[in-house]
Amino acid sequence: MDFLANLGLGFGVALTPANLGFALIGCLVGTLVGVLPGIGPVATVAMLLPLTFHLEPVSGLIMLAGIFYGAQYGGSTTAILVNMPGETSSVVTCIDGHQMARNGRAGAALTVAALGSFFAGTVATLMIALFSPPLALVGQSFGAPEYFSLMAVGLIAAVVLAHGSIVKAVAMVLLGLLLGLVGTDGQTGGQRFTFGVTILSDGIGFVPLAIGIFGLGEVIANLVAPQQRRELVSSRISNLWLTKEEFRQAWPASVRGTLIGSVLGVLPGGGATLSAFAGYVLEKKVARDPSRFGKGAIEGVAGPESANNAGAQTSFIPMLTLGIPGNAVMALMIGALTIHGIQPGPQVMTERPALFWGMIASMWIGNVMLLVINLPMIGLWVQLLKVPYRQLYLAILLFSAIGVYTVNNNTFEVILTALFGIVGYIFIRLECEPAPLLLGFILGPLMEENLRRAMRISGGDPMIFLNRPISLGLLIAAALLLLVVALPAIRGKREEVFQEK
Amino acid sequence: MKRLMLVWLSALPLVFGGVAAAQDKYPSKPVKIVVPYAPGGATDITARIFGEHMKNSLGQPFVVENKPGAFGILGIEEMARAKPDGYTLFIGNVSTNAITPILFQKKFNINFERDVVSVTRMAIYPSFIITTTTGFDVKNVKELQEQAKKNPGKVRYTSAGVGSFPHFDMEVFSRRMGTDMVHIPNKTGAAGMINDLVVGDAQVAVLNSASSAAMIKAGKLRPIAVIAEQRLKEYPDVPTLAEAGFPNVGTLHWQSMFAPAQTPKPVLETIFKAVQDAAKVPALQEAFAKQLVSVRPSDSLADAASWHKNELNTWRKTTSEVKIDLTD
Repeated sequence: MDFLANLGLGFGVALTPANLGFALIGCLVGTLVGVLPGIGPVATVAMLLPLTFHLEPVSGLIMLAGIFYGAQYGGSTTAILVNMPGETSSVVTCIDGHQMARNGRAGAALTVAALGSFFAGTVATLMIALFSPPLALVGQSFGAPEYFSLMAVGLIAAVVLAHGSIVKAVAMVLLGLLLGLVGTDGQTGGQRFTFGVTILSDGIGFVPLAIGIFGLGEVIANLVAPQQRRELVSSRISNLWLTKEEFRQAWPASVRGTLIGSVLGVLPGGGATLSAFAGYVLEKKVARDPSRFGKGAIEGVAGPESANNAGAQTSFIPMLTLGIPGNAVMALMIGALTIHGIQPGPQVMTERPALFWGMIASMWIGNVMLLVINLPMIGLWVQLLKVPYRQLYLAILLFSAIGVYTVNNNTFEVILTALFGIVGYIFIRLECEPAPLLLGFILGPLMEENLRRAMRISGGDPMIFLNRPISLGLLIAAALLLLVVALPAIRGKREEVFQEK
Repeated sequence: MKRLMLVWLSALPLVFGGVAAAQDKYPSKPVKIVVPYAPGGATDITARIFGEHMKNSLGQPFVVENKPGAFGILGIEEMARAKPDGYTLFIGNVSTNAITPILFQKKFNINFERDVVSVTRMAIYPSFIITTTTGFDVKNVKELQEQAKKNPGKVRYTSAGVGSFPHFDMEVFSRRMGTDMVHIPNKTGAAGMINDLVVGDAQVAVLNSASSAAMIKAGKLRPIAVIAEQRLKEYPDVPTLAEAGFPNVGTLHWQSMFAPAQTPKPVLETIFKAVQDAAKVPALQEAFAKQLVSVRPSDSLADAASWHKNELNTWRKTTSEVKIDLTD
C-alpha cells in the first residue's frame, strides 16, 4: 500500500526526538499565545522565523505548524469563555460555545472542542495520506466562475446561521456586504467609502470588526445587565466532562464537520475559512430541534470545531502544492520554506516526500499533544469565569486592544474596534445576529471580485457561469438552498422551528 | 510582547557584560526596521535575513516591525516621522518606494523626496514573462505576439493589482507588441497570479522567477523571456526580453533600505557598512541565490541616492506613458 509507506515515512521523520521536541515547543507556545489574546500567532511566528533559518526545513515547519494549531485551539478557548473570536474560524464557536458557558457548561464546551478537533485532525491526516494527489487537482479546477458560484452558496447559507427573524438575518448579511466593500476596488484601483482616510484604502480589518461586534458588544451588554445576572452565570459551573446525552449529540456532529471541513479546506484561499461556517449551517439543518441552536447546542460547537480543524489540515495541500496560504501563519510558513530554497509546487509531494509526509504526520502528533496539554487545563480555564466580572472585563478590554493593535501595529484599528463595540451592543439590543454579518463581510468582497473577474474572462457573457460544470452544479445547489429558505410552505415551518419561543 | 522582548534583548549585553561599554556609539540599543508588508513576504524575509547578520556585526538586535497598508504609505510615514537617530530604518521595494511616491503622491502627509533618504539598495529580483500551458500554447515572445494579435481582447494577463509593477510592465509590453490584452488583476500577489495562470483564468504574466520555479518544473508554466541584465544560469535557454526584441521593457524589481532624511551622516555610514558586510557573508548570499536573487548593495551613500533618484524619474516617465486612472 502506497499510502501506508507514505505515512510510515512521515512518522519516521516526525517521531525523531528532535522533531517531537519542536512539535511540543510549537504546541506549548501556540496554546499560550492563543489563550492570551494580546499576542497573536502571526507576531509570534514572525519573531521565531529567523530561528528556523538554522533548522532543518521540516523541523522548522513542524514547530510553526504546532504554533498554528495551538493558537487555533487557544482561540476557541477565548471564544467560548469570553465571546472573543480571535480568528475567522472561531466566530461560529462563539454562537453556541459562549452560550454553553453561560449555561454553566463551559467545561463541556471546551472538552468537546478539544475532542472534536482531535478527531477531525486524525481523519484529515488519513484523508490527505489517501487522497492528496486527486485533492490537489480539485483546487486547480477552481477558477473565478467556480468561486463566484461557491460564494453564492455560502451567502445564502449565511441566512440560516441566524436563529431569529429571517428579515433581520438578510439585513445583517447585506450590511456585512456593504462593510466589505470599503477599500480599494481590486479591478480599477478606485477608492470606495474611504472618505479620504488613507488607512481605509485597505478596507476594514476582520479582527477589529469581529472583536468589536462580538467581544466588546457583549462586554457592554454584560455591564448594562443587573449584577446578579452576571454573577449567576459565573457561579453555575457544573461538571467539566460531557454527559452521556451530550456525547451522543456531539459525536455525529463531529463526523459531519470533519467531512465537510476536509473537502472545503482543499480549495485554495477561501476554503478553510468557509469550513467552520459550513459545519455550523449543516448541523442546524440536520438537527431535529434547530431551535436549540444559539442557546448552547453542543452540536453547534462540535460540528464547526471539527470542520475548522479538518479544513486547516487539508488546506496544507493548496499551501504546499500551489503556494496559496490559507491564512497569515501559513504565509509565514511559505516564507520559511523559501528561505531554504523550497518553492511550493505540485512536485513537493514527490520531490520532497520526507518534508511533505513528515509534516502531515507531525500534524497528527501535534493534535495528540494539544489534547494532552489542553484537557487537564480545562478546569483551570473554567476557573477564569469565577473572576468577578468587574475585573474580568477590564482584562478583556486590555487584551483586545493589544491584540487588535499587534495585527497591523496600527492605532486606528483599535479605535475602530471600540466603535464596532458600540455597534455590537446596538445589535444585541435589536436582537440582530452578528454571525451572518461577518459571513457577508468575508464572502461579499470575494464574490464581487470573482464575479467581475469571470465577466472579464468571458468578455461580458454571463453564460460562463452555466457553461462550466462545477459552477453550474454549485449554482443549482444555491437555488435549492434558496428554495428551502424562501418557499412559503416551508417558510411557515421554518419560522416555527427557527423563531425563538 | 514585542516591547517586552525589546527590553529583554536590550538587557542582554548588560547581563553578559562588556559589549555596551560605549553608550554614545551607534548603535547602543536595538534598531527598528519598518517593513511595509505583513510578515512572510519577500521584503519581510529580506529584512529579517539582513537583520540577523547586521546584529552580528553591530552587536545590537535589528527588530522588524511590520506596518502594512495603503501601498506602503503607512510604513513610510512612520519611518519618516521617527526621530532621525538611526534607530528607525525602513526596507521597501520598487512598489512601495518608487511607484507609490509617484502614483499616490497626494495621499502622503509627508514630502517623500524631502523627508526620506535612500541608504543602500540591497537585492535585485529577476522576473519572467511567463505563460500558462493550460489551454494555451506559445513557446516564445514572437508566438505570443502573433496569438495576441490574432485574438484581440482574448488573451488575458494577471498582475498583483492595479498600479503594481507587473501591471505596468505588461501594459508597456502589450503596447510595444502592438497588441490588446485584457488585464485580470489579482490582489493576492504572486501565489494568486500563479493560480490564475494554472487554472487558465489568465494566460500570461510578469512573475518573480523564484516564485514560478516549481510550476515551471511541473510543466504548468513556461517562461518565454526573462527581465534581467543577462540570462539566468538556471535557465540558459530563456532569452532576456531585450534579446527577444523588446529592450527597455520590464522592471528590475529591487529592495532597498531607507531612513529619515535628517539621520546623521556618520550613523548612515555605519549602517551602510553593516549592510555591505552582511552582503558578503556566504550564508546570506546562498539564502538569496536559492531564490535566484542577486544581492547588490549600492557602492556608496551617494550612489544609493542618485540611483534612487533615477528610479523615481523612470517611474515618473512610465506612469505618464501608461495612464492608470486611479480615481480617489
